[in-house]
Amino acid sequence: MKPEDIQRIRTAFHLDEPLHIQYVYWVQDLFTGELKSFKDNQPVMGKIWEKFLNSLPLFLIGTMITWFLAFPVGIKAALNRDSVFDRTSTFFSYALISIPGFFLSYLVIIFMVKTFDVPVIGMQTFGMEEAPLLLRSMDRVWHLTIPALMSAIAGTAILSRYVRSQMLEVIHEDYIRTARAKGLPEDQVIYHHGLRNALLPFITMFGLTIPGLIGGSVIFETIFAWPGMGRLGFEAILARDFPVILTLNFFSAVLVLLGTLVSDILYAVADPRIKF
Amino acid sequence: MNKAITDLEADALAPSKGLFQERWDILKRNRMAYASFLFLVFLLGLAVLGKVFTQVVVVFDPKVVRLSEKFLPPLTSFTSTLTPKEDAPTLGIYLLGTDELGRDVFARMLEGTSVSLTVGFVAVGISLTVGIFFGGVAGFYGRVKLGFLTVDTLIMRFVDIMLCFPTFFLILTVVALLPPSIYNIMIVIGLTSWMGTARFVRAEFLSLRDQDFVIAARSQAIPEWRIIFIHMVPNAIAPVLVSATIGVATAILTESSLSFLGFGVQPPDATWGNILADGKTFLFDAPWLTFIPGFTILFVVLAFNLCGEGLREAFNPKLRSTP
Repeated sequence: MKPEDIQRIRTAFHLDEPLHIQYVYWVQDLFTGELKSFKDNQPVMGKIWEKFLNSLPLFLIGTMITWFLAFPVGIKAALNRDSVFDRTSTFFSYALISIPGFFLSYLVIIFMVKTFDVPVIGMQTFGMEEAPLLLRSMDRVWHLTIPALMSAIAGTAILSRYVRSQMLEVIHEDYIRTARAKGLPEDQVIYHHGLRNALLPFITMFGLTIPGLIGGSVIFETIFAWPGMGRLGFEAILARDFPVILTLNFFSAVLVLLGTLVSDILYAVADPRIKF
Repeated sequence: MNKAITDLEADALAPSKGLFQERWDILKRNRMAYASFLFLVFLLGLAVLGKVFTQVVVVFDPKVVRLSEKFLPPLTSFTSTLTPKEDAPTLGIYLLGTDELGRDVFARMLEGTSVSLTVGFVAVGISLTVGIFFGGVAGFYGRVKLGFLTVDTLIMRFVDIMLCFPTFFLILTVVALLPPSIYNIMIVIGLTSWMGTARFVRAEFLSLRDQDFVIAARSQAIPEWRIIFIHMVPNAIAPVLVSATIGVATAILTESSLSFLGFGVQPPDATWGNILADGKTFLFDAPWLTFIPGFTILFVVLAFNLCGEGLREAFNPKLRSTP
């Protein structure tokens, strides 16, 4: 490449300006929708939106698995404190927190491929685009299951610990004793009086999981070749595609703020003691 | 006579156990945490020995390449006639097999022990230093105004800004843009994980700064940095110690994830993370290359986590299961 060509490219992308001026250009381009990727000159917003739609089902299913699994386990462990179930679930949750996510995924891939012969790579089997709707959606579900399960596992382990300690704290409160004393059935005491009060901090936790949409998925989307936002970010980093990197970081910061705001509002709705 | 009585009083009044002793006993009672603690002490010794035996007095050489000895399973004895005698592994046996270049996995794991633990401890050391400094300043000088903002607002909002970015993506961005080096990885992991510590320390300082012993120290005109670091930090250290123990575990996991993506510690330095990441290519031909480092990371990180939980229990009377 000739030096004048390099200079022309630098000028075209404002790379010869100081950093803060480049930042202003980036903000301008972002809000006018003109922002282009360095790599293929496609609009960044369009790229991110397309990958966002791919990441969303993975994130939703993963979050659902996390929350639907963590609560029963945590509550049961708290109600039967120091029982065998409590001890094993505690140990397993620590083990699952401690295992590197990609190592566990490889173990599961070996197991699943050898045992059930199910596909684990990508979003759909190659050549399935023309298949009937039922077959196609079945294929899609199979591809979704394992990545979602894997990305949910660490979250489940952490969350079930929180549920357990939160329930343990609530169960010793005076109002639980009162509820028992007035002869309410045990289920109503636990789930109506206990769980509802234990739920409060999880509103905050729910807000905090939203940014996981981008950051938490890099590893799993790379392992399972899932064309989502985490992978987009990873590939952008490899290609030094700064507009995409900056925009992704910008959006994840926005997601954090949104998550915090939503959880604050929900908290005020759920807890009458909090007034603004 | 008078002296004897004061001595007796002092004896009678002395607590039966010191604070440290009491907490130590509680930690000991939690069998899992105590076992983890012993395991970690053993591991620390192993890391030092590994460092000595792989770099100073080379007993196990992790760098010898024996191309005729590729992919030997664990516990294979050295029988090759193609490899020169001086390249034979110690004791003439590959304890944990060999990898794709015929290097001794046992020697590499031994080297990785010290490197991985160094990454973990240095990263946590950096994050503790930064966290305690910012948290301490925010807690102690919180009411001082700089212009229209208080120091506390300034620092804590900066912490909030740092928390806005997803940690792993931020680490990945920075590591990918910096030249690959083991020091950069430690520094980046350290500089992206201090926010929790800063919050803990600030919260402790807010309750400590108006207590009598701090006011007493101030009245003696002890310099402020001395009050902060000698008088107050030791009183605020308990939650920090717990989060540091768990932080080492997180740093080791982060390093292995970075290695998986190709941004971790670069060869020839071996860490558990990059042995595991390299081994995954040969998952079906040489499963031990994946399983050995994988399970090592699992057990070590598990030990750090359990030990941290045990410490948390020992420091926080509310969490103790037996009164």
